[in-house]
Amino acid sequence: MSLALLPARRTPATAHQLALAVAIALAFADSSIVVLALPELYVEFDTTIPRLSWVVTAYNLAVAVAIVPLVPLARRVRPGALALVGLVLFFAASIGCALADGLGPLVAGRTVQGLGAALLLAASLPLLIALDGSSERAVSTWVTAGTIGVAVGPALGGLLTEVFDWRAIFAVQAPVAAAALLAALHPRSRWARPDAAAPSGVLPVAPNIGLVLAFAALVGALFLAVLLVVTVWDYGPLAGAGIVSALPLAALAARPLSRRLTASLDVAGGALLLAAGLTALALLPSTNPVYAVLALALSGAGLGLALPPLTRASLGGEGDVTRKGVFSVGARHLGLVVGLVAVAPVLAVALDDGAERATQNATAVILDAPLPLTQKLPIALDLYREFQAAPDGEIPDLTAPFEERADEPAVQEVGDSLLETVEAALTRSFRSSFALSALFALLAGVTALAFRRGRLNA
Amino acid sequence: MSRRLQGLVALAALGAAALILIAVELAQGARDYGELAVEDPCTATVSAAGEGLDATAQQILLDGLNGAACELGTTREELVLSFEPELGADIGWDRETIERAVRSGLLNSVDEAEERGSLGGLSATLLRELIERAPLDLLIEGGGQLADLLN
Repeated sequence: MSLALLPARRTPATAHQLALAVAIALAFADSSIVVLALPELYVEFDTTIPRLSWVVTAYNLAVAVAIVPLVPLARRVRPGALALVGLVLFFAASIGCALADGLGPLVAGRTVQGLGAALLLAASLPLLIALDGSSERAVSTWVTAGTIGVAVGPALGGLLTEVFDWRAIFAVQAPVAAAALLAALHPRSRWARPDAAAPSGVLPVAPNIGLVLAFAALVGALFLAVLLVVTVWDYGPLAGAGIVSALPLAALAARPLSRRLTASLDVAGGALLLAAGLTALALLPSTNPVYAVLALALSGAGLGLALPPLTRASLGGEGDVTRKGVFSVGARHLGLVVGLVAVAPVLAVALDDGAERATQNATAVILDAPLPLTQKLPIALDLYREFQAAPDGEIPDLTAPFEERADEPAVQEVGDSLLETVEAALTRSFRSSFALSALFALLAGVTALAFRRGRLNA
Repeated sequence: MSRRLQGLVALAALGAAALILIAVELAQGARDYGELAVEDPCTATVSAAGEGLDATAQQILLDGLNGAACELGTTREELVLSFEPELGADIGWDRETIERAVRSGLLNSVDEAEERGSLGGLSATLLRELIERAPLDLLIEGGGQLADLLN
């Protein structure tokens, strides 16, 4: 988009901008919004974990794959029209997801939602500039919406799942998309016109690589941590949302700090904090959620510091801002897909080992339990039946044999010890995946060198 | 203090907080948390909880399992899990070898219990007969019923 085409009168259209900013934040949040609802979906659709993971992957893959081919389209079609089509798709797909009666329709809905989000995000920056009248303020709004959206996703989804149902996650998105439609239809959206003849400019490579790596690292905080809290530690969506909300809260709290530092320090310091938070998650010494909250808060602070300068730099320099915005969005979603693809096999192997460790340690707990044989053997046999009854890939209900004997404190103690042992072995299984995520964060920090050399402005 | 210096101090404080958190985690046992925690069956010493015949029966069972696991070069836990193929533990021996090792381990622990004086001569003879003749599954499940009878 050529900014020179903007009319002289540049007073912002605040309500429309806000509606659009919320939709942008939501499109970013959708990357991870459904994670805390996965256990509920797993039960409702009676599926396997690899198939279920497509509810998350389909959206991110659709955005990552669709957004780059949109560059030539975005140079020919008005951003308002592009956003309109994107929001209509997003609106319809959100309703479709909310009404889905099977995993297939839900994954199909998430794919269409991703396509809609790609169109919306490709058009959102020039549209915001047109609505605001100030390029600088619009970029700042876009960066803030993107940062908050990414960080708030799991907590928001968990809250909606606990208070209502997993369908509420998608039901609330439809009115948000409808409200943003008003922004796309605002007369001022016509001020944003494509200019196919405008010079493309040089694409800032280092910040986009930094975004890819930072988002690959974020898979640890956004997906792995949530999976650990919900599936291994067995917290409900609301309690899980409470734990993971440390991430967005810390990201918001770190924003004022980022303004006091240079961009290179923001990126380097933020990436190091993100890596430290992920390392702390890898080194959890118990299932006490305080450690996870503190580690997620560090990760969030790192995110709040590193993400804004990386995003601003990815949009900076001379040339077409629409094209740069598209690549910036693509880099984020590519990072998430890279992170998921890299971490998933590592976690799968580690969980297999962890399950074996858990079984052996649990057997030791039962064999050495300070209980008479008359109690020990029936418990061991009941546990064995629970193992047999559990579907493949699911943790058996280890509490059931102990609940039947709830009036015996010694038996309860053994039950607690058994559960702790299993949770400890499975928690340890996440260690290598968190460490891999931390490595991505450290690599993202290397891109700070490009800022230090003064080649980039954020 | 300039804004930039304030920012640097805050960043340094966050870095220090990160290091402290990791140090506390390591001090709280992060290194071994969730690690495999099973004893070497060849050196493990069993002290069954409780007293009386129940404790004796458990001591014999656990000693016997340790002895069998040591002979087969596996852990006591893997040996127990291998009794049921559905639990997925494959210790690399056929069923016959496992049964022979378990019976031998249990017989040794009956001998030791008799030597210690915690098992009378008649009970020891009866147990040896049972260990030599009863199928392994029955032996394990029968342990509970035996303990019932003893109590």
